[in-house]
Amino acid sequence: MSSRHESSIAPRWLLWSLVTIAVWGAWGFLSKVASAEVNVYLNQLLYTVGLVPLMVFVGWTVHKRRQHLPTGNSRRGASWAFLTGILGGLGNIAFFQALVKGGKASVVAPATALFPMVTVVLALVFLKERLGRIQMAGLVLAFAAIYLLSM
Amino acid sequence: MQTWLLCVLVALVFWGITGVTQKLSTNAISSERSFLWFCWAMVALSAIVAGLARVPHKLGAVALLSAIAGGTLNGLGAWTSFRALESGGKASIVISLISLYPMLTVGMAVIFLKERLTIHQIGGTVMAVAAAILLSFESEPKAAN
Repeated sequence: MSSRHESSIAPRWLLWSLVTIAVWGAWGFLSKVASAEVNVYLNQLLYTVGLVPLMVFVGWTVHKRRQHLPTGNSRRGASWAFLTGILGGLGNIAFFQALVKGGKASVVAPATALFPMVTVVLALVFLKERLGRIQMAGLVLAFAAIYLLSM
Repeated sequence: MQTWLLCVLVALVFWGITGVTQKLSTNAISSERSFLWFCWAMVALSAIVAGLARVPHKLGAVALLSAIAGGTLNGLGAWTSFRALESGGKASIVISLISLYPMLTVGMAVIFLKERLTIHQIGGTVMAVAAAILLSFESEPKAAN
């Protein structure tokens, strides 16, 4: 039934992906607009204010579905998530600073979108994952891209 | 090295580490709980840097709303990307597709902010997007001992 339904319209995962492109693309643009008047720390503060409606929504969802959500190793998972937030926030501050210091949004956004190259290297070292040929080509391209964007 | 480029590299390192810590987190708890703890960390960090935040005398509504909307849109993007994966999209396809988001930023910056790119930067932008797509492919599984 669902396949017949999805044959006439785009699959849901594609729609969610397109929404993601739209909102993240707009985020990069709005960050540059804000950087003209707002210093990096105030930008981080206001960014967090913007997260509050989502916190309320997701918190409500978790509360409603608490009996169905897996609890897992809560303390360990929460610690890693908290660390993710701290590092993500520090990354945000560096991103905002790059825009304040004159980096063009059209250069800073693609350059910072290369962060998976660091993840790939870390996963290689700490999670003992193996690097495929495609990822290897991606790493080479990423270094070349950073060099070109800095010119 | 130009200051903005140094900042870009710092952001790359911090966000790159989050790729691993996020994976370790969602291995242990649900993505919703992980997102909430992520947000609480943002609140804690913002409380720490609040003392350094200077409110300009004339803060325009556009800049203020842009900064707040930036947080909402960035968090919303994290949530919709999870929904894309949960809706049956293959990780390699979904993540490759959403890696295209800088193209939208570039388009908006060129149209609305009148930014102009050099030929090297255009080449670098295309290569950066291509690299992000290639990097999103799954690593090969750990070798058996």
